[in-house]
Amino acid sequence: MAATRCSDFGDLVQIKKQLISIIAQCKERGLVHSVKWASELAFSLDPLPLNEIPPPPELTEEDAQDLDALCLAKSYFDLKEYDRAAYFLRGCRSQKAYFLYMYSRYLSGEKKKDDETVDSLGPLEKGQVRNEALRELRVELSKKHSAGELDGFALYLYGVVLRKLDLLKEAVEIFVAATHALPLHWGSWLELCNLITNIEMLKSLSLPDCWVRDFFMAHMYTELQMIKEALQKYQSLMEAGFAKSSYIISQIAVAYHNIRDIDQALYLFNELREQDPFRIENMDTFSNLLYVRSMKPELSYLAHNLVEIDKYRVETCCVIGNYYSLRSQHEKAALYFQRALKLNPRCLGAWTLMGHEYMEMKNTSAAIQAYRHAIEVNKRDYRAWYGLGQTYEILKMPFYSLYYYRKAHQLRPNDSRMLVALGECYEKLSQQLEAKKCYWRAYSVGDVERMALLKLAKLHEQLNESDDAAQCYIIYIQDIFSCGEQLEHAEVSTALRYLGQYYFKNKLYDEASLCAQRCCDYNDAREEGKALLRQISAVREQGEPSSTDLSLPCVFNPLSNNTTPVRRVSPLDLSSVTP
Amino acid sequence: MNLDRLRKRVRHYIDQQQYQSALFWADKIASLSHEDPQDIYWLAQCLYLTAQYHRASHALRSRKLDKLYGACQYLAARCHYAAKEYQQALDILDMEEAASKKLLDKNLKEENGSREIVKDWEMSPASINSSICLLRGKIYDAMDNRPLATSSYKEALKLDVYCFEAFDLLTSHHMLTAQEEKDFLDSLPLSQQCTEEEVELLHFLFENKLKKYNKPSEMVVPDIVNGLQDNLDVVVSLAERHYYNCDFKMCYSLTSMVMVKDPFHANCLPVHIGTLVELSKANELFYLSHKLVDLYPSNPVSWFAVGCYYLMVGHKNEHARRYLSKATTLERTYGPAWIAYGHSFAVESEHDQAMAAYFTAAQLMKGCHLPMLYIGLEYGLTNNPKLAEHFFSQALSIAPEDPFVIHEVAVVAFQNGDYKTSEKLFLDAMEKIKAIGNEVTVDKWEPLLNNLGHVCRKLKKYEQALEYHRQALVLIPQNASTYSAIGYVHSLKGDFESAIDYFHTALGLKRDDTFSVTMLGHCIEMYISDSDAYIGTDIKDKVRKTLNTPALMKMLNTSADGNESRAQPVEEVNVCIETPSFNADKQTDAFQRFLLECDMHESDMMLETSMSDTST
Repeated sequence: MAATRCSDFGDLVQIKKQLISIIAQCKERGLVHSVKWASELAFSLDPLPLNEIPPPPELTEEDAQDLDALCLAKSYFDLKEYDRAAYFLRGCRSQKAYFLYMYSRYLSGEKKKDDETVDSLGPLEKGQVRNEALRELRVELSKKHSAGELDGFALYLYGVVLRKLDLLKEAVEIFVAATHALPLHWGSWLELCNLITNIEMLKSLSLPDCWVRDFFMAHMYTELQMIKEALQKYQSLMEAGFAKSSYIISQIAVAYHNIRDIDQALYLFNELREQDPFRIENMDTFSNLLYVRSMKPELSYLAHNLVEIDKYRVETCCVIGNYYSLRSQHEKAALYFQRALKLNPRCLGAWTLMGHEYMEMKNTSAAIQAYRHAIEVNKRDYRAWYGLGQTYEILKMPFYSLYYYRKAHQLRPNDSRMLVALGECYEKLSQQLEAKKCYWRAYSVGDVERMALLKLAKLHEQLNESDDAAQCYIIYIQDIFSCGEQLEHAEVSTALRYLGQYYFKNKLYDEASLCAQRCCDYNDAREEGKALLRQISAVREQGEPSSTDLSLPCVFNPLSNNTTPVRRVSPLDLSSVTP
Repeated sequence: MNLDRLRKRVRHYIDQQQYQSALFWADKIASLSHEDPQDIYWLAQCLYLTAQYHRASHALRSRKLDKLYGACQYLAARCHYAAKEYQQALDILDMEEAASKKLLDKNLKEENGSREIVKDWEMSPASINSSICLLRGKIYDAMDNRPLATSSYKEALKLDVYCFEAFDLLTSHHMLTAQEEKDFLDSLPLSQQCTEEEVELLHFLFENKLKKYNKPSEMVVPDIVNGLQDNLDVVVSLAERHYYNCDFKMCYSLTSMVMVKDPFHANCLPVHIGTLVELSKANELFYLSHKLVDLYPSNPVSWFAVGCYYLMVGHKNEHARRYLSKATTLERTYGPAWIAYGHSFAVESEHDQAMAAYFTAAQLMKGCHLPMLYIGLEYGLTNNPKLAEHFFSQALSIAPEDPFVIHEVAVVAFQNGDYKTSEKLFLDAMEKIKAIGNEVTVDKWEPLLNNLGHVCRKLKKYEQALEYHRQALVLIPQNASTYSAIGYVHSLKGDFESAIDYFHTALGLKRDDTFSVTMLGHCIEMYISDSDAYIGTDIKDKVRKTLNTPALMKMLNTSADGNESRAQPVEEVNVCIETPSFNADKQTDAFQRFLLECDMHESDMMLETSMSDTST
């Protein structure tokens, strides 16, 4: 494996050779996903001439001895008769046979676990059934490990076992060792990806210097929501000669999806589908994008197309679920997400989406469980954390929801939705200062829903900080107008109404009348606008000379017969708007 | 008439187990030889073998042979023993003691001189005496006189070091403590009675049978007995060692190998049953006990197996008790069944009844510390730490190096609030376990690690506590109580974020854990109140000043000067008023929980240790 260590991409031929040899090795061990990854990558590179194709690895004495048992066991393994495979491998001594032996035992446990869950419980109870083989495997592997007898593949398996047992710290160490022992095995890297929770942790690991590492880093950046770095990495990988790799294209599309650059992502996904029309992976992400854009026909086309290809795939079920969800058939959607989870209980997206569906159906406890499962699968799924926050908000447990929103916020510090949610929670806990900070921050990082300022303004209004409130309304109105299009939920009228009153109080009658006039453009504020205009003209008529008159409020009193109710109404209005 | 030919024929028939034919011819020979004592002896022997005990005894005693010949005396007593007439058997043996011994000796000498009869009888006086001692021991045993039985067995063994039965009865009934056993073995006159090579062989074989469970240890097979490695008895003894070191997997592979070679190897059965219970292989135990009951209905071990099966499958304690009591009625001295009987009550929290059973076991197995340990545990569970301590110290005096006992003593110290001692003891136990391997890898010891974690937490050594809990987690992953303990330590350290994480995990595994729920609530509040509102650097005024919208330009320009007045939220609102009260809450909570947990751990430990006796 010493030959595999080359960090630059200059020698694509060398890389291709390495890929070919690792494909063969993984194939022998039944590591199908790593085989797929490596093959996809190898496919994107130019074919090798005949004399360059690497010869199959030489067999050792032990390998030769175990050959027949291995062959027999592998055939049972491929037929999913794992116990049987393990039985025939139990006496073998070669590394390959040992790995397959342990791996069959592991898979046997997993299979039994999955069968058990399908038999007895709904997918929500998934966590209750455990793989019984894990503990034994851990003990045996740890003995072998401390004796230093594990090769790269066995280390990988050991790591997987540790991760399944929630011994994450140990698992990370083992996976790092596995990548050192066998840098080309993508499985170890991928497992490592799932265990790294933040950038500091990533930096603290000493990883082997190999070209695969660049793929890993790019993947990692995508996962850690460091999209800029990820895109950069992928760009350099494409320039280095992997431009045709569908893996990279899909990863870039996912990255764009993560930063909500929907157009780019959609474009890339469409391209991906052209290149690889029967691809099912990542199509759930694609469908999320279509969902966000409410592109019903496209989503429907995608769903039908995928059903034709393979209807019992997790991704297919997710796409169909999204489709039904877009059509507001939430029961059906939940059904499909459930089916996805039955197919693969470790499918992250389905758990989160199912949580959303349960939320739609107002089934909070089920939603909480679904979100929790999502977090168990992947701690970095901010949507699940956010969903948990929302659920607890509905359950009126503000501390909990604050905690979960904060988790989501940690994962995406520059996402205004989390900040607004945080602000709302602080408001509920009557910690106005914190709430104000959050709203302002939400506005500063670029508010997608344009709600932060409005909420901030209302908060100021409640606290009788009229200057600040007015300021916020001003910026809000600016914002709304500058973006050109008229947003449906925009509360420009509320802002104008308040501003009108504010200027009026401060005797800035020109501004006040301007606001009042604008108020009349909106149905719900028209009357108030008119009333204000009347007031202004009345004041102007009688009080031109005495603009600094202290008795101004008194003067208003007789006139305010019709304004006071309005003004009384407005705070009520506000409160009804605040969710 | 040549009687010798007929005599040979009788022996031949006895060897062939054709006792009726042997009896017929022995009878005829006795008459033909005019009641030669030796022929009478053989006649009696044949009668004994055909289970006609009283006739045999009468044949000997009516001719007063029992007073003249040791062999006849022995046989006569044995007949009465077989007929369960213990007092009479004892009388026969005691009679010799006073008067006839000298006579017998004289007689033997005389006969030695005159005829070579003794040589023909093919028994040395030492072996006869040893047999007599052994028989006496068995009679005492049957009459529930343990101390006399013990001394008789010892004497038998001293007279004949090869007398395995005496040795076996001594060890398997736990009549001596480990130390006594060792001293006794050293005091045996091995060198006088056997050759040098045999000394080593005997020493090795006997040592193998000695107590192994009072402290973890390893077995070394000396070179001289190289061929014995594959002897099933030796393998079983090796398996037992693995069993006591809690390496059940290894033990299981050994015992199942033995069971393949010899399906009902008597010594192996208890170990095998114990391992099956430990590994919860219910199906196998079910099948095994069925076969045993069919084949050996009168052997207590069969019913013990059935009882263990019911004990293991849970919720069948009633059945378990029924079969275990059957085992004890078959053989009252069958200690393991008594202990298992106690366990069947213990799991139902029937402490008094459990203790009664354990007490019986304690009487039967003087040299075994396990009954003491369990009695101590039961006292501990019934809130009687004083008595518990008393029994633990008794257990300790029998087995001073058993980590299980040390662990329990430490738990008691912990409950008494004596954390320093408790820590020392826990570490002591740990040391003992580490003595066998370099590291603690057996999941039996997870409670020990967790308890060490608790003690360290009490002593405010939080880092160490975390480390211990982490190790416990390696042994038994996904354990809710370990997770909440870790969460608790984190919360005491003020690291609420991690604490919340761990409480969440704990609740994920065990949803209705009240401690975790309350702690989680507290921690979240604490966490929220002492952290920033959001993450990231402040970038507030950057956006503020870019105000230019054509539509509202005029309006805004006029009011632009008001901008700066916006209050900057500088102050951190720290809600620390809550803290003290919260701490108090925590303390009480923790205390209550701690008690609970101790209980839990104890019962854990109890269940764990519970099975380690099945093979004693």
